Amino acid sequence: MIPVSIQMRQALGKLVLPLLVLLSIGIVIAGQADRRLTDQARMVVADALAPLWGLMTSAQNRVQALSSNLREAGRMASENTRLQAENENLRRWYDVAVSLTRENDTLKTALHWIPEPTPAFVTGRVVADSGGIYARAVLLVAGTESGVHVGNVALAANGLAGRVTETGARSSRILLITDIASRLPVMLDASHATAIMGGDNTALPRLMYYAQDTRPIEGERVVTSDQAGAFPAGLPIGTVHYLHPGQPVVVPFAQLDHLTLLRVFDFGQALIDPPDAPGHVPLARPRKPLTLPLKTLLGQG
Amino acid sequence: MMPDPSMSAWEPEIRPRQTLWQRLDHGARRLLPSVFIALIIIFFSAPLNIPGAAELLPAIVIATIFFWSFWRPTGMSGLAVFLLGLFMDLVGFTPLGVSAFILLLVHGVAFYARFGLMRLNFLLVWGVFALVASAACLLQWGLACLFRLDVLDIAPALFEALLTIGVYPPLSALFSWVLHRLDEKEDP
Repeated sequence: MIPVSIQMRQALGKLVLPLLVLLSIGIVIAGQADRRLTDQARMVVADALAPLWGLMTSAQNRVQALSSNLREAGRMASENTRLQAENENLRRWYDVAVSLTRENDTLKTALHWIPEPTPAFVTGRVVADSGGIYARAVLLVAGTESGVHVGNVALAANGLAGRVTETGARSSRILLITDIASRLPVMLDASHATAIMGGDNTALPRLMYYAQDTRPIEGERVVTSDQAGAFPAGLPIGTVHYLHPGQPVVVPFAQLDHLTLLRVFDFGQALIDPPDAPGHVPLARPRKPLTLPLKTLLGQG
Repeated sequence: MMPDPSMSAWEPEIRPRQTLWQRLDHGARRLLPSVFIALIIIFFSAPLNIPGAAELLPAIVIATIFFWSFWRPTGMSGLAVFLLGLFMDLVGFTPLGVSAFILLLVHGVAFYARFGLMRLNFLLVWGVFALVASAACLLQWGLACLFRLDVLDIAPALFEALLTIGVYPPLSALFSWVLHRLDEKEDP
């Protein structure tokens, strides 16, 4: 302790709080100026806390499993008959699927179909809900060590969940499609018309900028579109639902409010570059489609 | 706990020198609220299936900081509030420094008004806290709008404010009990 007089110490004590307030404002401004540094700091903290969160979620899962086991035991008999009926039904479908796969294979061989590369994926456990009030995001225990990169696509069990926005060594943050910053090019499955799906922090992202002659139909499937080059086409997202006339939203297939496992796919979209067309003067840089949706967004807003 | 007579060699200090155990005890008491908040932040960041967990976290943190800042400022210093706010921002992926700023303002109001507040009865203190909490939630909403450059829905902010106001009485009952226990141990 530095020997200072009592008056001096009191004066210093009064200065601490205003100084800290100023420092926090300074950190806000510095954090906005240098996003990379703050993101690194966040991911270091998240990496450090990931095991703790993993412990908590595994304990929670165990308790849930126990309680659901107890509940299941009560209605085991009725469940059993239902499952047997469903199993018979599924066996028929299995035969149909096998014959269709064979037919598909023979047709593809006849056409000399070029097989699509199977994407690499890693599966991770969701350990933290890093969204807060004004954002929708989750933290996943899988980072650059497992081959997760920024921009990879995260799929839940039955639909698109989001995209990787930040990565640490052992954890990564995934911005969900319901976040207010999320804008995805999507395709309506029935009409093959494109639209933009924009999150607004509610459970149901809105559909925007669809063509006026092909309006989304209630119950129609919504899949990703490869327009901006960020997503491969055809990943299932959800179904169209009208909250009010003229206000279509997407009901996501994935249960985004309680995610437990996510698969992160590296589709290698950035690697596909169209070859230069001889005889054409390149108008702009090759990856032009990226600017187009932005322009329409700005123009409409 | 009686001080060890062999250790009470009179230094130029007024109090006898503390034993290691006493020092640990005092440190633990000072850190108790901060550790409580840090654990709450970690706990509520895990994906719990509690409805409104995102709003409950700032509610508990604001109420806790307000209570300790005006009843026991030694247990909740400005520096601790600042570090907790930064930790909350880092864990919650909010813009860095925003929570620290808001929590410091709450701490400052409670700290400077504490002699006035102590004379009021509980309902009036709760009323003052309601004003402070509403202001903090609106400020958080305003800053979130500023960083998005977009007017966000105000409903979550109002819900957060109501939750903060509602969570104060049970928390203050809990902390009052903790304070009584601590004081009983201090001078039996």
